[in-house]
This record gives sequence, structure tokens and C-alpha cells, in this order.
Amino acid sequence: MVASHPKAGAEDNRGAAAMLQSKSFVKKTRQGRLLKIVREHYLRDDIACGAVYCSICDKSTACLSDTTSPILIVDTNVVLQQIDLLENLAMSNVVILSVVLDEAKNKNLSVYNRLRTICSNPTRHFFVFANEHHKDTYIKGMVGESPNDRNDRAIRVASQWYQRHLGGSTKILLLTNDAENRKKAREEGIIAETVQAYVQALGKPELLDLVARSQVENVFKHDVEDLRPSKRKVVYAEHKAMSEITSGLRQKIYHQGKFRVNRYNPFEAYVGSESVGDEIVIKGKTDMNRAFDGDVVAVELLPQECWQDGSGKIVEDDDEEEEEVVGLVPASADDAPKNQALEGMSEKSISIGIARPTGRVIGIIKRNWRPYCGSLEPMPLPAGGGGTVHALFVAADRRIPKIRIQTRQLSNLLDKRIIVAVDSWEQTSRYPSGHYVRSIGEIGDRATESEVLLIENDINTRPFSEQVLACLPPLPWSMSAEDLRNPYRRDLRHVRVFSVDPIGCKDIDDALNCTLLPNGNFQVAVHIADVTNFVHPNTPLDEEASQRGTSVYLVERRIDMLPKPLTEDICSLRADVERLAFSVLWEMSPDADILSVEFTKSIIKSCAALSYVEAQARMDDSRLSDPLTLDLRNMNKLAKIMRRRRIESGALTLASPEVKFEIDTETHDPLDVGMYQVREANQMIEEFMLAANVSVAGHILKHFPMCSLLRRHPIPTPKMFEPLLRTAAAVGIHLDISSSKALADSLDEAQGDDPYFNKLIRILATRCMTQAVYFCSGELSPPEFHHYGLAAPLYTHFTSPIRRYADVIVHRLLAASLGLNKLPDLLRDKSLLTSISDNLNYRHRNAQMAGRASVELHTLIFFRNRPTEAEARIVKIRSNGLIVFVPKYGIEGPVYLTKKGTKEETELVSDIDGKWIIDEEHQTLLSQDGKRRYKVLERLSIYIQVVEPQPNRPKLELTLMKAC
Amino acid sequence: MVGLSAAERVYIEDGIAQDLRLDGRGRQHFRSLSIQTGVIPQANGSARVRLAGTDVIASVKAELGSPQPGRPGCGNMFISVECSPTAAPEFEGKGGEDTNLELAKALQRNFLGGASGAGAAIDLTTLIVIEGKVCWELYIDGLVLSSDGNILDALSIAVKAALSNTGIPKVQVMGGLSLEEADFELSDNPEEFSHLDTAQVPVTVTISKVGRYHIVDATAEEESQVSSAVSVAVNSKGLICGLTKSGTAGLDPSILMDMISVGKRVGLKTISSVETDIAAAERTLEAE
Amino acid sequence: MEYISPEGLRLDGRRPMEMRQLHAELGVIAKADGSATFEMGNTKVVAAVYGPREVQNRSQQLQEQALVRCEYSMATFSTGERRKRGKGDRRSTEISLVIRQTMESAILTHLLPRSQIDIFVQVLQADGGTRSACINAAALALADAGIPMRDLVASCAAGFLNNTPLLDLNYTEDSGGGPDVTVGVFPKLDKISLLQMDSKLPIDLFEKVLELATEGAKATAEYMRERLSENTRQLVSARGLLRF
Repeated sequence: MVASHPKAGAEDNRGAAAMLQSKSFVKKTRQGRLLKIVREHYLRDDIACGAVYCSICDKSTACLSDTTSPILIVDTNVVLQQIDLLENLAMSNVVILSVVLDEAKNKNLSVYNRLRTICSNPTRHFFVFANEHHKDTYIKGMVGESPNDRNDRAIRVASQWYQRHLGGSTKILLLTNDAENRKKAREEGIIAETVQAYVQALGKPELLDLVARSQVENVFKHDVEDLRPSKRKVVYAEHKAMSEITSGLRQKIYHQGKFRVNRYNPFEAYVGSESVGDEIVIKGKTDMNRAFDGDVVAVELLPQECWQDGSGKIVEDDDEEEEEVVGLVPASADDAPKNQALEGMSEKSISIGIARPTGRVIGIIKRNWRPYCGSLEPMPLPAGGGGTVHALFVAADRRIPKIRIQTRQLSNLLDKRIIVAVDSWEQTSRYPSGHYVRSIGEIGDRATESEVLLIENDINTRPFSEQVLACLPPLPWSMSAEDLRNPYRRDLRHVRVFSVDPIGCKDIDDALNCTLLPNGNFQVAVHIADVTNFVHPNTPLDEEASQRGTSVYLVERRIDMLPKPLTEDICSLRADVERLAFSVLWEMSPDADILSVEFTKSIIKSCAALSYVEAQARMDDSRLSDPLTLDLRNMNKLAKIMRRRRIESGALTLASPEVKFEIDTETHDPLDVGMYQVREANQMIEEFMLAANVSVAGHILKHFPMCSLLRRHPIPTPKMFEPLLRTAAAVGIHLDISSSKALADSLDEAQGDDPYFNKLIRILATRCMTQAVYFCSGELSPPEFHHYGLAAPLYTHFTSPIRRYADVIVHRLLAASLGLNKLPDLLRDKSLLTSISDNLNYRHRNAQMAGRASVELHTLIFFRNRPTEAEARIVKIRSNGLIVFVPKYGIEGPVYLTKKGTKEETELVSDIDGKWIIDEEHQTLLSQDGKRRYKVLERLSIYIQVVEPQPNRPKLELTLMKAC
Repeated sequence: MVGLSAAERVYIEDGIAQDLRLDGRGRQHFRSLSIQTGVIPQANGSARVRLAGTDVIASVKAELGSPQPGRPGCGNMFISVECSPTAAPEFEGKGGEDTNLELAKALQRNFLGGASGAGAAIDLTTLIVIEGKVCWELYIDGLVLSSDGNILDALSIAVKAALSNTGIPKVQVMGGLSLEEADFELSDNPEEFSHLDTAQVPVTVTISKVGRYHIVDATAEEESQVSSAVSVAVNSKGLICGLTKSGTAGLDPSILMDMISVGKRVGLKTISSVETDIAAAERTLEAE
Repeated sequence: MEYISPEGLRLDGRRPMEMRQLHAELGVIAKADGSATFEMGNTKVVAAVYGPREVQNRSQQLQEQALVRCEYSMATFSTGERRKRGKGDRRSTEISLVIRQTMESAILTHLLPRSQIDIFVQVLQADGGTRSACINAAALALADAGIPMRDLVASCAAGFLNNTPLLDLNYTEDSGGGPDVTVGVFPKLDKISLLQMDSKLPIDLFEKVLELATEGAKATAEYMRERLSENTRQLVSARGLLRF
């Protein structure tokens, strides 16, 4: 280890004083005080150029080896705008200057990270040259020179240096789209080109698509949509300058917040603002002023007369009218459409019609653009194909506006799912401009569509890396003598342990036992796979799992959080093998009273891995009386008592219309789809899992009151219950929402003439619920820990560490509370734990949405070429139709009674002229002649089929057959 | 200070009477002066002055604040002095407090001007950013590193040099709907600085009476023999900006006037050489 | 926050094992018995020694050895933000104590009984590593004063950020939240006289960082010795002329 100090130049002579420079600038602190910052800046003479063939410089980090193609030096704007092009493998032999890297880091962190990833990959031949510290390429800003000009000059000086240094062996090429920079470079003897020119010269036409259009070229002469001169005017208001925005924010005339587009109405958005104290509604494209979902925007409030309520009418262009789609039944308030526009609403309607603050966007503070999946809007192929055409890209995410791109391969792309990145959105352009990044596959192809929904939900499907797999113990794994000797691990191999899971389940993370004790009580235990014995903190395996957060269940495949050897073998509590577990042991009275609880690590040997069907069959078969069956029956008895007790204290039993697909083993296409059957056996296992989670929650909170990871279910606000209450009132049912118990009781009493009625009400109640979330106990107060749905004061996730990372954390917390392990540093920090729980919530939500999207995809595939009749129930009424729910398939969607836009009746119904009359209070729809009447919750017969109103855009359609 | 013997004291007094001081100077000669500016890069302006054995540093920091209620159109200036214990062990702990205050007060009298802001060393109205709301506040700090007499004069020269060296960041006022909402933005560019007009900044000359004669720029040994002294602050126009009498002995008014005129004469000479030195120092700083 | 780029350069362009530029000057304060300034990068410190002299406070006089006293003060303009410091604040007191103890272990106090040696350290600019600069300046000032010492004391600080040991942290790196190990060594005797650390560090990493800081201190000692020799040479050649 040598510690040397840089050659002391300053004291020797004036000339060498240059080795130590000083940079100073003035900064304003948050308190408003001024700080003059002075920093040292050392210049070095040991910075290498990065070329393998250079005879002077040190070659230990060199990676530029190709002498045939030129060395490319890129400027900052090229990096920021053309990162997709740079990521393409065709770009190689590139020098990234440190001045460019620093500027990119300040302007766009995600582009910087992507650039760093490319640079760290030696096969890409990207070299980072620290020009700012090289004594020959460092320059001081001249008087009157702006920082940008100085940086541009630094880039040119560095290019010149490369020219002198390596010019003999290779060509040096500076890529910049700035005409001024190019001119100056050429004057200084550097060869400079625009990106466009360079890519064209490469002779790879597919690369040209990746080249983002610079803002100069945004003048469309061959606009696909509008050639009318009147339309080429300024479409959107100018965004205000940043300085004006900051002063406006300070004076409270502008407000800052995150722009959230309504998923069901892309022309309505909400900006949550602290300064206003409420969400600001933004309506219409003009007021949205080019903001994207997720951007941080500055909003100006409109005068109070213009304030609207969330469910007011929208006036829009005809071709932008949004329609409802057929999709999966919402499982919570987050999935359900927010404040839908009820057309033809009368003043007497029970609406939330208080005017809410409404405003318009006057500037974008931070853009949240990312690459989007989707496909091109169908359009006729231009004559004489092969040239560049403009096309409109429609993103899969409905909240994103259409994006205009240029492409040379239109015919190829029209039927594909592609990824597009956004470049800019000018005032004069109706749509944002972007460029094509890559294709995923054909539209409608199951694999392609699955990949799209995975990308859109930010789910990592890449195989586990070498480093992660290196963390696994070698296979075949079996318990070691050390594990046996461990005094903290109890040997429970003699206990009759069994597991009950869905058919074909290979990743068994829980097993149970129920042993009758001599004193008449039961020893009931839940054994959970001891995942944390194999996944240690701060290892690549742990970090990967933490990032993924949860396993994702699509219809046809599962994307694992942990590698298969762990999930299906080493941790899985399979039958007849010894496995390590983390156990919760209760002593329970025959009345299911918990007399004592114990937590310990253990060794178990499961004697049977049953499926729910098998377990249920055993319990039901009165002929069987072997020990295992008796245990099952005892457990069931206890479970029933526990369940009843929970319901009495207010736990909600809502009906979640889970749908299950039967998949063809060869084609992987769905053969049949039906509602998921919930049997007693399911409820029994569920009951004990809940009990285990509750016990663990209490224990870890006692030991770590400030940093436990718990799960809460916030109470829904009365506003969220409104649609349910309205529907229930229309059929004469009164629901008490004062507490979860009151709601549970009134749900029990809600009986109708048909047996399905109650279930229907419960399904409607489900969509009023909030999402349960993870949180750190130090961040909230105890009353807020409450889990509404389970009516539990405390809850956490402990029972599924194989597929949920939250459970892994809880295992570590529990182990630390028992003194078995040290608590990892990450979990000691409240704010770190909060950010972990935020990530887990994000991943959980994404996994849910991906799962739902996958089910929707398979539903579509199922009904393709298989139109079906089915019974449906009306859940909502509209002025032009009904929203119905189909129990058998678990789908929900609109049934139009008037043809869209023309107000004529559809063919299947007899042609009676005129509109329908809506009765809000009774939630009924009456035909003009009074002959037909539709009321909410009534039965209906409908026809399900897949139609393709536009080529390559299949969708489900529900049409009326006849009323029953 | 090591005590002086009786012989030494007589020696000093007689020497002064004969216009021949210990180091060979005349009564009205200043010791050699060396000025360095920009010594504290973190400050907006700074200077280091060496007057033979006396070594002082002055630094100017500009902060944003609000003008005093009585003078909405003026910025603020604050002067404070600290004697480092490196100058003398007596300044250890709280020992230097009295000296600090005395020096600070004398400088304030010379530089700060009246209560209305008029007559200050620099035009305080140039420090205003938004009238009545925001202004620049200059915090001038003097640090005495080494003392060999005549600290006050050295400090005043250092302050003058530091003020000349001071660069205030450029401020852009953005108009709001009314004066209350007007706001401003700070330029980050280190090149964009505005300098202060220091033409009016005075220089202090201390005239000390030893026996029946008065000397300028006393060394520490000579100071021990001084019965009373007058510090006169003179600016380049020859106007007197401040006056302080120190010492226990009383002064005859005519002698007082004499001392003052001496101070003025020496002051004018000193100030022009000081200004030349400062300009030279600034030039060397830029050349680096 | 990236304190070391993937290319191995720190924020100011140094490599992890490089110190900042050092600069020292002797005899800067005329009236003091010994004085020195010491600069480590942008950290500038001046130290003055008064002594050996008669003990001011009789009750503190030590019969067998010299009384060593130290005071540390920071100028109001020494940090980025101007801050008026009281003389008795805790940090000043602590550093004063640290310097005193370090210097006392170096001075051959038994050779100067019943006397007092005052060391005053004044920080002109603070940019990380203030403690080390103060000790170095004090050591040089003592040498300039001709006070007999066992050995020079040299000091340097090292830290650990972005998984790399870093030598001689500046203020930005010091505020990075990582550990800060300050070490003072007797270079010839190869002994550690001062060891302080902030924050947390695992034991094996601590050894590495300590080793780095010690190397840095030894390199500083080299420089100090060089300057002292040069200073002596100048004095010898200027013999006969006035000091200033």
C-alpha cells in the first residue's frame, strides 16, 4: 500500500502550479443562506486513453481495440436523447468523457445508470475517459463563457487530444447534433457528424428507426392526420420557465404534485397537492398540457366558477371518446373505475357533486418518461413501401397518450407488439414524438402478450445470475449433522406433520400438525419453510429476492422470487424428507382457546403432502379413521370455532370471484375456465395461517416496536362505500358501514330471492375495499396498525417466505427476537425499512396487476373462436346500457343497449326507437315505451364473443340475448 | 511583553526626540507594508497585511438579510475583531475580549458611518437588493495573528484591501405582482461578481505621543511608552472619517490638532501607496 | 453518493491512496518562540509556541516537568458558513485536549521542570482533516521553538467510503457518513501516539484503514522533516542578518 501525495507543484514554480486547480461556486442552502464552496481539483498525468494499441498509456483498463472503425466521442445531448441507439450492439468503440457523464448524471439519472451499465460491460468497448482530471484536457471557463459552452469546449479539446494521441492509428469522430458545436469542431480540425449521418453511413437501416428525432426536425410536412393549415397552430400552452415556476410555488399561486391519470379516463387526471390540501382535478387534453402519468408538474388553479366535480361530463373530440372495456371483476377500490361519468345525470342524483379544485398544468418539473409497450395504430400501408413513414403508437397502458414515431418497417411492425421511447412533445404537436426501440412479438400471441404485461408491470423475468446461483448450497441437499446438533433447533421429526396445498403444488412452504395431548388439549403447530437459513442478508441471492419482492403468478407460468432449487426442493416441505422449518406451536383447548404459544426453529419430516381435494375427501369419508384423518378432523373442528370467533368480532367474508383456468398441457391454451372452488379444507388451512401471522406479529412488535414489518388494511372511507350503498338501497337493502362488524352483520342479513344474491352483494362490497399494505411499525401509531378486513389489531406476513420477501424479513425479525441471529443493519433503520416496505407494496401491486392481466389475456384467448352464452347479473346502469357481471367466468363489462354513437338499438333487441330513461334512485333503466325494464342485480342472459373491430385489436364483447 | 529597563526606556524616548527610532525610522515613517488579497477563498473577499511583525487577516462575507427598519434603502455592515492567542499568550481564553472589543469599536467608528447609513466607507445603498425587503449584509472579520504594535492601522488597511477584493454574486430581481411578491434569483456562475466601490474607504493612522513628540506606527516596545494616542481615519480625499483618542494622559487641544494634521498628511501618503499595493496584489491574484 | 468513480478517481481527482497537497512554513509569527503554518489541501492552520517560560499560575507549576498547555481556536471565516464561535465550546475543548496530550507525549518535559509551554493553534480554513493539520503545525512550531522532543509527531486521517479505504478525507468526503480514523505517529520510533475514530467500522476493515492512515502520517513526517531541514539551511545561510 503506497500512500503518496501528488507532486507538489505549487511551491516549485509557476508553470507546474497548474496541477492543482481550484473550483469555486456559490450555493444557496435550504435555509436561504449563501455558501461559497471551494473545492480542490487535481490534474493528473496518469490517465490512460483506453486504447489497447496505444504505446504510451497504461493498458490495464483499456478496451478500445478496433482500429478499423472510428473511435466515437459523443456529446451530452446525444447521450440523453439517443441512449436507445447507444445501447444497441451495433454501437461500439465509443469514448464517454467524464464531463459528458457528469452532465448526464445531473440531468437524467436513469439515462446515466443505463450508460454506466453499458460502460461496465467490457464486450461493448465503451471507455470512460476522465478528461476533467487529465492535465492536457482540463480547461478553465473563460470570462463570459456559459457553463454549457465551457463543457462543449471541453468536449472539443478532448477530441483534439485524442486526435493528436491516436490520430495516427484510427479515425476520431465527434458525434453531436448541435450545429454550432459541429462548426467549431470542424474549424479546430476535428471530424464531426450528426448521429443521423453516422448511422446512415453505417448502412444498417433498422438502426435509423432508433435515432430519435431532434427537436429541430419536428416540423411535419407530411402529417398523417392533419394537412389543414388551421390545425398547425400552437395546440398547447407554453410551459412556463423554471424560475417563474419556483417563484410561483413560493408565492403559492402554483402548486406542485404528481400527475396521476385516471386509468379509466385518460383525459382526466389528478394532482395531489399538499398546498391545496386536496387533489386538483385536471380535465381535458388542453389543460393537461402534455403532462404524462407520473410526471411532477406545476399546476395553476382555475377560477372557482370553473371548478368541476370528478364525475362531470367531458367534452372531447369525437375520435377520442373513451369506452368501457370488458375485463376482470375489480377486487378492490384500486381496480374499480374512479368516478365514472354517468351520462344523463339529473340534479337530483345522489352524487358526490361538490366542486373540487380544478386546474391546469403550466409546467413540467420532472418528466417520468419510460419505454412503453404497445402497438401501432392500424393504418393503410403507404404506396411504394420502404420509405420512412409516420405512425401512431398506442401504448398498452391506457393512461399514456398516443406517440408519433417514424419507421421504415411499417409493414413489419403493424402486427407486432413493440417498445417505444418518448423523445419530446412540442407545443405545436398534438402528439408526443418518440422512437422505436425494439419488437417483442406478434399481437395476440400468448407469449408476446405475456411478455408485454410483464414489462408493463416492471417484473423482472431474467434468469438468476451466476452470482445468485452461487449462493445456493450444492444439490442434492440433505440435513447435516450440524443442523441436528444445533441446540436452538428442535427435533420434531417424530411428530405427525402434513401439508395441504393446491394440486400439483411443488413449492410447499407450510405444514401443520394437530396432536391430541394427554390432558385433552391439542398441540397445534404451523411449520414454515426455514428460508432464512439459506438466504442470508447482503448476499446476491438476498438482494435479488429483495428487489423482486414476490413471486408472480401468471396463468401459465410462475416467475419465482427465489431460484427453483430452493423453492421446490431445499426449502419445500415435501413429504417423507427431513426439512428445516420455523415453527409456531400453540397449546389449544378443545374450544380453540390459545393457552400458550411458542416459536422455535425445528426439523420436521412431513408424512403426507395432500391436496385440498384429497384432504376434504378424507375428512368427509366417514369410513376412514386413520390417525392422519383424525388429526385433520380435529383441526377442522378447531378451525371452524376460530373462524366463527373471528366473524363475530367483525372479520369480513367477502366473495372474491377468483377464476381458475384449465390449461391444455400441449398448447398451453386454456381449455376451460371456472370459478375457484373454496372448500372447508381451504378455510381450515387459511385459519391457521392467519393465526400464525397474528401470533408472530404480536411477538415481533413486542421486541422491535420501532422496526417491525407489519401489514395493515386501512378502513375504507364512506365515500368509497357510496356505489355499494346506492346499489343496495335500490334493491331495498340497508348496509351499516359504521364498523367492519356492522358491515359483516348487515351483509349476512342481505338475502334476496335467489341464493346467489348474497354472494353478489359481497362481490360488490369487495370493490369498495382499500388495499392492504406493508408498513414499518415505527412510522405509524398503534391504532393505524389495524387490519380492517380481518378485524385484527395487528397482522403481518410470516407463512410464505418462499414466494414473498416480506415473510423473509419477518423471519429475520422473529429469529432476532428469539436471540437466534443478529438483526441485520438494514432492519434497524426505520427509514430504510419504510423504503423496503414501499418497494414490497409496489412489487405486490404489480404482481397482482400482472396476474389479473394474465387472466384477462387467457380469458380472451379462451373465448376466441368459442363464443358462449352465459347468465349475467346487472351491477350498474348507464344511460346507454348496462354493466354486467358474469359469475361463471368472473368477468365484467358493458352491454350496450344503443349502438355506440348512433343511439340506435342493437340488432339482437327489437327495434324500438328512442333513448332509455334512467332512474337513479331505483337504479333502473326504462325503455321509452315502458315495455322493458332493467334493474340492478337482476339476471340477464348474454352472449360472449371476441370481436375485432380493428385489425389486430381483438376484444371481448358482451351482447344482450334476452331477459329472464 | 517583557518589561523594559529604565535605560531602555530613556533610550527610546531620546531616540524619538532625535527623530531616530529603534529600527532607524523617522518619526513619521511607516514600516514596510505587504498586502496579499484573496487569501481566504471561501470568503467573498479577504486580505492579509503584514506590517513588519504585525500580521492580520481580514475577511468579508456577504449574506442576505433584511435592511434595518429605519433605513430601508441601505444594506448592513458588521465589523468584529478577534485576537488570536498566537499573537500573545494574553489573548488566551477570554483574555483578548477587551482588546477585541476596543479594536472592533474603533473600526466601526471609522467605517460604519452614522446611524442613517450616511458617511459609511462604502455606499450602503449599493447593497440593497429589494428595497425594504432584501439586502446584502457584509460581515467583516479581522483576525490578529501576530502583534508587534499598531494593530489598528494594520487592521484598517486589511479591511480596505478585503473590501476591494470582495465579489458579490449577481442577483436577478424577478418582478412579482407587487413589491411584496417580488423575488430574486442568484447567479451561480463564479465569474459573475460585482465589486464594491472602495474609493471612499479610509485608512487609519495612529499617532502616539511619547514624551513631547509624536510618532506614527509604533512598535510594541514603543507602545509601552506611549502616554496617549490619537487614531485618525483619513480617506483618499483627505477627509477625516473617524477619530479615536486612547491612552490615559490628557492632551492639550493645540497638540491634538497638531497630531491630527500629522495624521492627515501621513494618511494621505499611506493611502495612495496602500491603494497601489492593493491593485498590484489583485493583479497577481488574477494572473495565477 | 458516488465518492469514487468506477475509474478510481475521487471527487477532486485524487486516487484513494493519495494525500492532498502539503505546504508548511516556519517562523511566521515574529513574537512567538516558535511558529509554523501547515496546509493540507484547503485546510490551513497556524500554530504558535510560547515557551518554555515561567509558569503564570503558580498553583499549576509542576516540580519535575514542564507544564504543557494548548488552545485551539477556529476563525469565524474558516468554514463555508460564517459561524461565530465561543471560546469554550466542546469541540474546541476536546481538540485542545487531544493536541495537548499528543504533544506532551512527544516533548521531553523532564528537561524543562517548573516551566510552561503554551501551544496556540488557529484554524484559518477548515476543509477536513483539521485535527491532523493542527497536530502537524504544532509539531513544527515546537521544533521551530527549539523545544526538545522525542520525535516529531505526524498525523493523518483516513476513512472508508464506497467500499474503499480513502486517505486524507476532505470536508465533502468527511460528511459522507463513513468512518473517520485520525492517527498520530512518532515516525522514527514507529509508535502510535494518537488514535481516534468516528462512526462504525468492522474490525478487519479497521486494520486496513488504520494502516493506510499510518502510512499517510509517515509520508507527512517525511515532508515535515524536509521542510525543517530546509528551514535550518536558510537560517544558517542567513546568519548575521536580521530575522526579518
